Amino acid sequence: MEEDTIEKISQIVGSDYISTRDDVLLSYSVSASTGYDQVKPSAVVRPGSTEEVSKILKVANEANLKVTPRCGGSSLQGEVIPAEGSLVIELMRLDSFELHEDLRAATIGAGVTFGKLDKLLKAYGLWLPVYPESSLVATVAGNVAVNGAGPGSTAYGCIAEMVLGLEVVLPDGRIIQTGSEANPNAPGPFLRYAFGPDLTGLFIGSLGSLGIITKVSVKLSKRMEEFHYQTYGFQEAEQAENFLIELKNDNVNAVFASIYEGRILGFFMDMLGEEYHIPEHDWPPFTVSVTLGRLRKDQLESDVKRAAEICKDLGGGVIGISELPRGEWDDRMRTFARSSYAHGWHWRILYHHQTPSNWHKSIEAIWDVMDEYALLGHTAGFATGHSSYNFYPHLYYFPEDEEEEQRVREAHVDLSKRLFKTGAVPFKLAPYWVEGVKEMQEYMKVLKGIKDVLDPKGIMHPGVMGGL
Amino acid sequence: MEPDMEQLMEELHQCRRCGICRNAVYDAKGFDGICPVYENSTGFETSFMRGKIIVALALLNGELEKTAKSSESLFDCTLCGNCTQICPAEFEPAHTLELVRGVLAEVPNQVREEIAHKILSNNNPYEEDNSRKRKWISELGFDIPTNGEILYFVGCTAGMRIPEVAKNTAKILKAADLPFAVLEEEPCCGSVLLRTGKPEAAAETAERVSNAIKESGAKKIVVSCAGCLKTLKEDFPNKFDIELPEVLHILELADNLLQEGRLKPKALPGKNTVTYHDPCHMGRELGVYESPRRVIQAIPNVNLAEMETNRETAICCGAGGGLRSYNSELAKKIASRRVQDAVETGANILATACPFCEHNLQSGAEILGEDIPIRDVVSLLAECVE
Repeated sequence: MEEDTIEKISQIVGSDYISTRDDVLLSYSVSASTGYDQVKPSAVVRPGSTEEVSKILKVANEANLKVTPRCGGSSLQGEVIPAEGSLVIELMRLDSFELHEDLRAATIGAGVTFGKLDKLLKAYGLWLPVYPESSLVATVAGNVAVNGAGPGSTAYGCIAEMVLGLEVVLPDGRIIQTGSEANPNAPGPFLRYAFGPDLTGLFIGSLGSLGIITKVSVKLSKRMEEFHYQTYGFQEAEQAENFLIELKNDNVNAVFASIYEGRILGFFMDMLGEEYHIPEHDWPPFTVSVTLGRLRKDQLESDVKRAAEICKDLGGGVIGISELPRGEWDDRMRTFARSSYAHGWHWRILYHHQTPSNWHKSIEAIWDVMDEYALLGHTAGFATGHSSYNFYPHLYYFPEDEEEEQRVREAHVDLSKRLFKTGAVPFKLAPYWVEGVKEMQEYMKVLKGIKDVLDPKGIMHPGVMGGL
Repeated sequence: MEPDMEQLMEELHQCRRCGICRNAVYDAKGFDGICPVYENSTGFETSFMRGKIIVALALLNGELEKTAKSSESLFDCTLCGNCTQICPAEFEPAHTLELVRGVLAEVPNQVREEIAHKILSNNNPYEEDNSRKRKWISELGFDIPTNGEILYFVGCTAGMRIPEVAKNTAKILKAADLPFAVLEEEPCCGSVLLRTGKPEAAAETAERVSNAIKESGAKKIVVSCAGCLKTLKEDFPNKFDIELPEVLHILELADNLLQEGRLKPKALPGKNTVTYHDPCHMGRELGVYESPRRVIQAIPNVNLAEMETNRETAICCGAGGGLRSYNSELAKKIASRRVQDAVETGANILATACPFCEHNLQSGAEILGEDIPIRDVVSLLAECVE
């Protein structure tokens, strides 16, 4: 990077908050995405305000300098691996928090993690009821940038459903506010779909390639304290799938529901069974682990009764083991890390959504690929909102085994193509989802048009969103 | 003392770069932030363990040149172990980083070289006549022999910088009518040598300590410093294969003596609310959480108020891991944050159980402009049993 560019950025943030040191650059060349090659940026900057982000982007534009926005660095599909020689703009210092109690909403800076937010909200008896399983590291803004999900999503959907508005710095440095807060006279965030087209949605899931989200306004709810944990067993996949569908149809409030088939459950038990005190059990072929949540006990009691009836009507049975869902829910802010970090493996992961009725199609594709490529792995997942199911298959390898890692990379791409054919959709538009997929060509042209308009110099996180 | 490089590399590879070691707030488990260096520095990735491990790997595999600058982040760490407490991977990051410091012997680091030289030359890091470690005895009004079954291992900081801790420890032992000894020439335990990556020097001092203790006839060793406690109790057997007699902190012993009725504290004057800072070596490392609290609560007129992070999740005072010597400004800044935690409890006394912590917290209070008294629990108890 040019000395004068560094000097200009240094003037904006102060010399303490920009670094070109080799060791620092190395630490930003990676993220929690273990299965990705490291790429060194040319500098890292830690702005302390939206205005500083704006000024930095203006300098980057002048210098034709590629930038990589980064929050908690917890993403798993290479989303914050920088472009070669780019400037990493790390947003963790943007830690503002503004509560709009009468609107049941909050506006938070891009550096606020879910864990931090949860603590702040708890004091008011509130919560943001969607928890990515990396909540202790992931920021809300980062999660919005990938449209993530997690425990809580079974009832409330992906994080996108919680968003009321965004403050975004566009690639040329302009600052825009979306949603009702676009009106500076508005009392706060109360309507996302204000002022015509849903500009907010444009940036959700854009992986920071259309602009840098600096603040997020989110819906809040009264914090639930009434929960019930139960496991339900079925002989057939279809029964388990229908169980999820019928819970939704009957408005039984599952805040977290996952289908486990035998092999997957075995894997989970190996990792966390002992810690969550899950008793030994001869599990059925398909187990649905459910946390029901309600504000009031009478509502919960009704849901518990109805869930058991639906299970029975579908030919299943209540297993009676509560420790599995309780462990998942109570440890929801870090289950992912804990259930994945076993035996020294690294992995590639392939987030995608299916319909609950197609749950078995993803499972079949995943096991086929693992068997064909002779890989070890598993998949976890959970129901996410209206009628979708979030999967995150892991393909494991030993970091010292280059041949195995290469097989994982090939299997990973192959699996994305197979999953696409089953009807699955990604929420993170990694290039491998669309490369060579002719059904997506027109879609990508439109997306490219938008990208070109907002980012004519192509400096914003190039390549990360579908290769654009 | 040859490090097992294969095992060390395997441990470093256990890190999956999840980043929980940065600033996790996990209210249900008592965590409110993890890394004090991250919180009190410019906060680049190299400030907390995820980045430090990347740097360590790069230094060990030759990707980074082994210079003082490129290894700076590895020494800007208190090794407090809060990251270890929450890390989901199958290794202990703080211990691993300590080992990394040791195998990077060729990395220039003037501070650790100077400390090692001073300790090996003087048996203390303060470059003073080591016999001063017994000087405080002259102010007690009673003599202490150099041999005996109970040995009070004073430690360098209590002996030479905060003699009140040593005197108060002696008063408690005297009040309980326990005869005890203090070495004539007490060598440094070597804690700071281990933490800063000088294992060979630490082995040398361990040998000196072991011989001195053998000659004293000690069957039980009492310490008043958390660093000495961890080093003598855990590092000596595990790292140097040196088995010492039972080692315990004076507050563990005092806790027993209080329960047996052999110490009967009088009331501390006035109304007192004490908050207790857990030294990392004593708490997270050795699990000694309750003895100091029971001692505080055994003193009439004293209430205990907990800081938000306490016991396993306590934020470090900033002095450990050699940071006070290597980057004293950062160490003091961390201390000031911890003093702020104490002030927020409404307590009128901040107590701890380690002279190192006490010294650094004092600096932190000065930075903050807070006049909350910072005391060792030993001094509180001694005041009530004289």
